[in-house]
Amino acid sequence: MDRRRFLLVSALAATAACGGERPGRSTGSSAVPLTRTDSPGALPLHDDIPPIADGLSPESGGVLKILNYPEYVSPDVLKAFGKTHGVEVELTTFNTMEDAISKLRTPGASFDVWFPTPDVIGKAAVGKLLLPLNKTYLGNLANAWPQLQSPFYDEGSRYSVPYCAYTSGIGYRADEVSANFGYGLLWDPAYKGKAYLIDDHREGLALAMLKNGSREINTEDPVKIKQAGTWLAELVPLMNIKTGIAAYQLVAEGQATVHHCWSGDMINAQSYLPKGVDADVLGYWYPSDDLGVVGTDSIAVPASASKPVLAHLLLDHLLDPAVAQENFSFTGYQPALSAITPEKMVTDEFVTEGLKSAIVTPDVYARSQQIFQISPAAEAVWLDTWSQFKAGQ
Amino acid sequence: MSGDAGGSPEPAPASRRNAGAPARRDRGGRLWGLLAAPGALWLVLLFAVPFYAIAAVAFGYTDPVFNAPVPEWDPRYWDVTAFTEILTRSVTGDLRPVFLRTLLYVALALGLCVAIGYPVAYYVARHAGRRRALLLGLILAPWWVNYLTRMLAWLNLLQDDGYVNDLLLFTRIVDEPVRWLSGNPVTVVLALVYGYIPFFIVPLFSTLDRIDPLLLEAARDLGCSGRGAFWHVTLPLSRPGLLTASAITALPMFGDYYTNTLVSGSPTTTMIANQIEFYLLGGTRKELGASLVLLLSALLMVLMVYYLISSRRAEEGVT
Repeated sequence: MDRRRFLLVSALAATAACGGERPGRSTGSSAVPLTRTDSPGALPLHDDIPPIADGLSPESGGVLKILNYPEYVSPDVLKAFGKTHGVEVELTTFNTMEDAISKLRTPGASFDVWFPTPDVIGKAAVGKLLLPLNKTYLGNLANAWPQLQSPFYDEGSRYSVPYCAYTSGIGYRADEVSANFGYGLLWDPAYKGKAYLIDDHREGLALAMLKNGSREINTEDPVKIKQAGTWLAELVPLMNIKTGIAAYQLVAEGQATVHHCWSGDMINAQSYLPKGVDADVLGYWYPSDDLGVVGTDSIAVPASASKPVLAHLLLDHLLDPAVAQENFSFTGYQPALSAITPEKMVTDEFVTEGLKSAIVTPDVYARSQQIFQISPAAEAVWLDTWSQFKAGQ
Repeated sequence: MSGDAGGSPEPAPASRRNAGAPARRDRGGRLWGLLAAPGALWLVLLFAVPFYAIAAVAFGYTDPVFNAPVPEWDPRYWDVTAFTEILTRSVTGDLRPVFLRTLLYVALALGLCVAIGYPVAYYVARHAGRRRALLLGLILAPWWVNYLTRMLAWLNLLQDDGYVNDLLLFTRIVDEPVRWLSGNPVTVVLALVYGYIPFFIVPLFSTLDRIDPLLLEAARDLGCSGRGAFWHVTLPLSRPGLLTASAITALPMFGDYYTNTLVSGSPTTTMIANQIEFYLLGGTRKELGASLVLLLSALLMVLMVYYLISSRRAEEGVT
């Protein structure tokens, strides 16, 4: 590097070190309401983003654009819907909600239907990414669990309708685990090297809290969050713990004996069993008290939708019990509809008796804990604590 | 320098000899500059611009509504908070062991590449004769198959009840199955070697192949044994190739997160690229991931400078 270049780089570095704040940069605290089950909130409406009018005919021709996780909606269901309404259905996928929001915020991008998690609906509504729903098109919303017809995170279902429900429990190989069911399975050295945690900072640290009897899985107290990290760190030397989100495959193939996972993964695992292996080898444990995590996903119409009426019809279509059950058979994640009961799922041979506990009911939803949206500062502490655990600290 | 220059009966005057040379040099320079333009453009578009974008994210700020990083393109407003945090954590905090582990894994993998790759490259270059093309083809053959497919095949072989353990148990090398895939650092290092060793062998072969056999014959004529000739001639002459192969192999190993994820996934083997992946793909603190990228790049740049200086010295030593 010659002298002139060195001076230039030094000057840039010095500039960076002394960087001031750009005038007009928005750095204030978030205006997004932090809703809770005991303090629900109606999300703000915006005059410049009105809902669609009543009684409009659905758009036809062209492409209906869907934004969803991979493998989280049945292609057959979408194809049939598109055929009925004379449109081509195009699926764009994302891996995290941050990715999804980034795609929605891309200038010029347009999506008609999005499948968000409840914790991002608030910020998406405040950030004008969503279209308010017109419920005259959503007659099937009455099929959803009563608690989700006006959920705490979106009171009055202004922007979303419920999609799937799941719990976070322990998937296991029933042919290798027969006693001591509970979160303690992940701390049992008998399964060392074959134990996994969900690779998600909130889920992983919440598990450590619940195992130790703490229900504060949405705490913003750094001391409590770090304590959860310390509990989790025990698993590194004790269990040689691994992280992942492929329980459906790892448990089915026997690579994992115990796997912290979402209930839908164990229902899916039935399809991943090697030839000749009976589905009875799969088991799922979820606590019978309130020390468990339940979650739901939802469906919304982005403000950028070019076919908003048809998008409403698709939302309603997916809330139809027959369609929802067909969709369930593909995704493995149950729709949060009253018609889906554990008994019916066993009778219809969707799940084995051993996996009956993987079906979520409104009662389980009511008694369980939920992972809520927290402040960005607290989110950073959760993330860093998980990062330290993942670094083997 | 030409040996007969002084013997020319009528050496042309310097002015006449060089007449027209600057013009030709200018034309030639412009031509080569033009030919280098696509490469320069490529470098700007695919390296400089993305690298600046990473810096803009690392030194940017967070959107208060979406809690998402916003790149700051104007260096006058860069905020170094995230970079300082990462630097502190890397020097004295939780990321320090991860950096050290990464250095150790890459060093071990590189050592194995040398131990395995050098003899292979040497044999193909000096002793394979007419079979050299076949052998080179066979070395590269596994890379005709897609990387993920190859690694998934290995995952099957390395299962607790896989063929590798079957073989080890059958031959009584071990008494119980080796937990290859349960956060085993040995597996991670071997997987890195497996993934990158062709990039080591091929440039090294190229260097060894160019060594003039007459130099070796001269060494033998001067009394060197075969081992001595290798030690005093082949090895020094292959040093530039060894350095190039090491650089080409080590650099991507530092940035590899997928191999580790596939064969381990355990916190006990986390490498720095896994932490970068975690921050960039898994959460809201992308500015930390971008800062880690910058820090790792700075570290690699130090290694690259060392490589450039060493290879220049090696070339000077050869000439």
